[in-house]
Amino acid sequence: MKFGKRLKQQIEESLPAWRDKFLSYKELKKLVRQISSAESCVEYGKADAEAEFVHLLNNEIDKFNVFFMEEEEDFIIRHKELQQRIKRVIETWGPNGTKPSEAEYKDEMAKIRKDIVNFHGEMVLLVNYSNINYTGLAKILKKYDKRTGGLLRLPFIQKVLQQPFFITDLVSKLVKECENIIDEVFPVEQEDEEEIVKEQREAITVAGKGIFRNTVAALLSMQEIRRGSSTYGHFSLPPMDLPDSDLIHSFQLNSPIPIV
Amino acid sequence: MEARPALSIQRSGASQLGSLGVSGGLSSSLSIPSTHLEGTYQKLPDIQQVPSERELTTRPQAHATRVPTNNGVVGHIFSSSSGFSSDLHYSSVLPNEKHSRNSPFISQSLADTASLPLSQSSSSLLPQPTIPSCCNKENSGSWCTDPDFLDFPVSTPVQSGQVENIQRSEDFSKQNDWQEWADQLITCDDALTSNWNELLVDNVTNLEPKMACQVAKPCTTMPAQNQQLPSPSVESLRVVNPSSSANNAPAKPRMRWTPELHEAFVEAVNQLGGSERATPKGVLKLMKVDGLTIYHVKSHLQKYRTARYRPESSEGSSEKKLTSMEEISSLDLKTGMGITEALRLQMEVQKRLHEQLEIQRNLQLRIEEQGRYLQMMFEKQKSGLDKLKVSSSNPENPAATSDATKEAPTKSELESSQRDHLDSGTGTVNNAKSMLERSSREMGGEDMATEAGDLEKTKARVSETSPEQAAKRSRIEE
Repeated sequence: MKFGKRLKQQIEESLPAWRDKFLSYKELKKLVRQISSAESCVEYGKADAEAEFVHLLNNEIDKFNVFFMEEEEDFIIRHKELQQRIKRVIETWGPNGTKPSEAEYKDEMAKIRKDIVNFHGEMVLLVNYSNINYTGLAKILKKYDKRTGGLLRLPFIQKVLQQPFFITDLVSKLVKECENIIDEVFPVEQEDEEEIVKEQREAITVAGKGIFRNTVAALLSMQEIRRGSSTYGHFSLPPMDLPDSDLIHSFQLNSPIPIV
Repeated sequence: MEARPALSIQRSGASQLGSLGVSGGLSSSLSIPSTHLEGTYQKLPDIQQVPSERELTTRPQAHATRVPTNNGVVGHIFSSSSGFSSDLHYSSVLPNEKHSRNSPFISQSLADTASLPLSQSSSSLLPQPTIPSCCNKENSGSWCTDPDFLDFPVSTPVQSGQVENIQRSEDFSKQNDWQEWADQLITCDDALTSNWNELLVDNVTNLEPKMACQVAKPCTTMPAQNQQLPSPSVESLRVVNPSSSANNAPAKPRMRWTPELHEAFVEAVNQLGGSERATPKGVLKLMKVDGLTIYHVKSHLQKYRTARYRPESSEGSSEKKLTSMEEISSLDLKTGMGITEALRLQMEVQKRLHEQLEIQRNLQLRIEEQGRYLQMMFEKQKSGLDKLKVSSSNPENPAATSDATKEAPTKSELESSQRDHLDSGTGTVNNAKSMLERSSREMGGEDMATEAGDLEKTKARVSETSPEQAAKRSRIEE
């Protein structure tokens, strides 16, 4: 139940609008259990049950696809708008602009910085959404095969790999572009700033349900999920190599569910 | 033959369940096949293979009595599908034909054997839904007013949920939508073939070609779907709209936007005087993109307007905005870090997450790739074995045959033993690998063994730093 628990935690930590878009892992697990214990010796019964299982999985996949593509579309629009906005600010209040004003420029840039970082975070969270749902599907299929002796996993997962929600290339590209923009928009980090940052790596309480909190949660979850399973094999992911793991753990999330 | 569109309706009902997020949706769509199947078989309704908690007892009976005329059809349906359902991995040429004929898009998709087993397994679903759907079409009047169906709450199983959704779809859809839908059905009829097998596969693979469509980059030329709200009419249209969507003007398949497409959109909008003044029709005309429908443009325009004129809320809900402000100021207070620093930190964490996600994704892809390769090798081996068996009557190769049978177990045995090894993970990873190596040597394909080695190396690299992992690995490799 480890993955199920992690998934549930992730869902709770995620953006409110996203919460019902995740994989219904628990329900599917229940179904697998029921199917395997139904003792259906009649062959058509088994095929029947499998058909139902597949049908449900397809519904889930539909759900992911619709949501993912919807969000992706939003991101495309916002990405472009962000670029336009930066251009506008530079052209209006920048040093070479039509009405140069350092105060306004700084002000607007600060807002833009915040927006970019949050936008970046949201996109990364979407990639995470895609991945965790994929992982869940892979796990539930493995369970199904194991419990019922079926051979559903391999072909089905191939189909999943081609689904729009799994093909996150575009969003990843937007993420990278965002990172480039950030470098332009952020002031160059000076020596003393670096030191300050290092000195102040104390416990930071991240309150609220912001994007930052979600990313931290997502990272930690991912690490936990991959901590090595009891059924390690060819098809399992190895444990994660997460640099700065301590730093991330130090972001104590102010929630009733500690990520242990 | 109205069966086909009827099938679609049913499927749409089911998928609508999913998208509506009905909590009982899962459970309701669950038992659909079994009960319908039973209705077909004219068996007693209490033969319930799956979850007995679901009350289905009255259902099949009702259906059986309701559709006396369809029994013949249904019976026929079932007999042809039984071939499918009994062997889920039966790969036939037929679906391929269907694929290439009906969907130019699928030619771009990977309509390979990998996708076939799925279609086979799902196709057993298809016959069952015809019962109520046929009813729906024939006795639409009586259907709508049937209290039995309407009484069932959505959360209770099976057909009730589905039928209710069909009801709802009729309730919800506006006049024009219904018209469009009817038009769709009529045009679909024209494309019908008499080949029931193709029919079965085609409807199921609706999902696949659509998905595959999205994969191929020229999305602009693909039939696309407006995924507004989970409006029933949209969902049903999606399924009714198979590969022949190119012919159907009001088609609403799913659309995947790209930055280039969006650029063209913005161009068009600007030419028309801005987002407020531009109309969907005008933009559509200007864009001149194949397969793009007015619905896509409409919804995209809506999103665009929101993004432009309410930039605060376009970054997500304002609630979210506030909390991120809060969190930054709390960060600020706690550590005296400047906002910029806090943002930088947030950025770093996000970057890290993204990095890890990419790594994970690549690993997952490689794992599955290897799995596919393994499968291929098994199949090769099996066919090799079959050939040997055929020639086993030939007294010249008794030794070869016995060797083959000894060293090369049947594909399913090998696979299941492989799976066992994987599942138990008790130091038999090596056994599996040596088995692979043996068989691959036999088949003359040493790539697989090296592939296995490669993947292990990659995994090792990723998890180098974890001592836990090292311990585990030594345990596995002993």
